[in-house]
Amino acid sequence: MSFQQKNITVSLANFTLILGFYLIRVFQMIQGGNFNSANVFRLWGIIIALAVVVTIFATILTHIVLAIIHAIRTGEEKSNVEDIEDERDKLIDLRGTKLTYLVASIGSFLSMLTFVFGQPPLVMFTLLIFFGVLAQILGDVLRLYLYRKGF
Amino acid sequence: MGKRRINNNIRKLRFFQNEMTQQELAQKVGVTRQTIIAMEQGKYSPSLELAFRIALAFGVPLEEVFSYEAEADKN
Repeated sequence: MSFQQKNITVSLANFTLILGFYLIRVFQMIQGGNFNSANVFRLWGIIIALAVVVTIFATILTHIVLAIIHAIRTGEEKSNVEDIEDERDKLIDLRGTKLTYLVASIGSFLSMLTFVFGQPPLVMFTLLIFFGVLAQILGDVLRLYLYRKGF
Repeated sequence: MGKRRINNNIRKLRFFQNEMTQQELAQKVGVTRQTIIAMEQGKYSPSLELAFRIALAFGVPLEEVFSYEAEADKN
């Protein structure tokens, strides 16, 4: 497994956990009867902060851990982790991003469609972040699939 | 589309270049070892520029490294 694949796997795990956390919190709010704008926007903030901070730290941590493992395995002091991005990596990334944008766009449309059915704006905002995180997860899944299967 | 139509002799050419490693070839042409592996396994067809760089690394013409299955076009 290449550095890029490990990085994507870590990102996938992060966003899956974030989505799980988000869904649990939303269901808790609905069941507890406190599904209101203050709580939903607070959760929005938490999710966005988590997504940014966790992604940055996970990337740095992955790099450090891989460098340590590589050094232990090979006995080389200088880190030689193959983290350059070549044309294949860029193509795979592009295809993943394309799917992410597609899912996010459809998700945004579906979220706004809830207005048509008379749902309050909170539902739209809740669905928006759900589809945003889901789009990222699906993009990562496609990237991993393309690395494994080839194209 | 779908079926792979570009074949390559990278593995064979590496063997004839004193068993050049995938890592050495990757460094010569400026890609990762994973990309060389993917090409050898037929999971990736390189860009024209990379194809030329690979041919140059082996010191052979492009058509000695890559071949195109014209039969696939007829279907």
